Amino acid sequence: MADRGRRKVTYHRRKICRFCADSSLMIDYKDPRTLRLFTTERGKIIPRRISGNCAKHQRMLTVAIKRARKIALLPYTTSTLK
Amino acid sequence: MRHYETIFIVNPNLSEEDYRDVLNKFTNMIEKQKGVLVRVEEWGTQKLAYVVKKFDKGLFVLMNFCGMPGLAAEIERDLKLDDRVLKYQTVKLADKVDPQELVLKEKEAKEKSAIEEDQSLESTETARKEEQKESMGEVSTNG
Repeated sequence: MADRGRRKVTYHRRKICRFCADSSLMIDYKDPRTLRLFTTERGKIIPRRISGNCAKHQRMLTVAIKRARKIALLPYTTSTLK
Repeated sequence: MRHYETIFIVNPNLSEEDYRDVLNKFTNMIEKQKGVLVRVEEWGTQKLAYVVKKFDKGLFVLMNFCGMPGLAAEIERDLKLDDRVLKYQTVKLADKVDPQELVLKEKEAKEKSAIEEDQSLESTETARKEEQKESMGEVSTNG
């Protein structure tokens, strides 16, 4: 029982939005290198609860990633490639 | 005038001449339709993230331009009809802009980058010299 109680106390490291912290980091759909940091190996967009981005920048990021996908700078998925 | 940005991917197996032909066709088209071409960037051959029309590589070209609302649609139609173009995408950057201002800004940015390049070259040179000096000093102290 005591264990259960203890387990509930988890350490939360406060995540910071990287785009708010570093104003020189721009969200641009033409820059797949930066966008790749916010996608999984399979090409999925990493959710906000994991990456720690703020809502505003996450919105901008999703649009940028989707644009980059459309013009073949980022993959939709990697399962088709070997 | 509206501010647009178009990226299109050209077949990488084309000859240099054909590639120039495609490039000129679309840049000229903007000017013919009373648009203002702000900037053209040629990214060269790049790997595609997925296969497009059985190509895994493509020549990327970016056109940054201003024009009336119908212009982007016309350019997209021509890009669609041209089979040397594999893929294209237009993004509207702003609704109301002054094209002359953008062209001026572009010029300034170009000049600035040119100056910065010169400076960075100089600074790397001086850094190298300093490194050499330091290494020399180390050698002498070690000796």
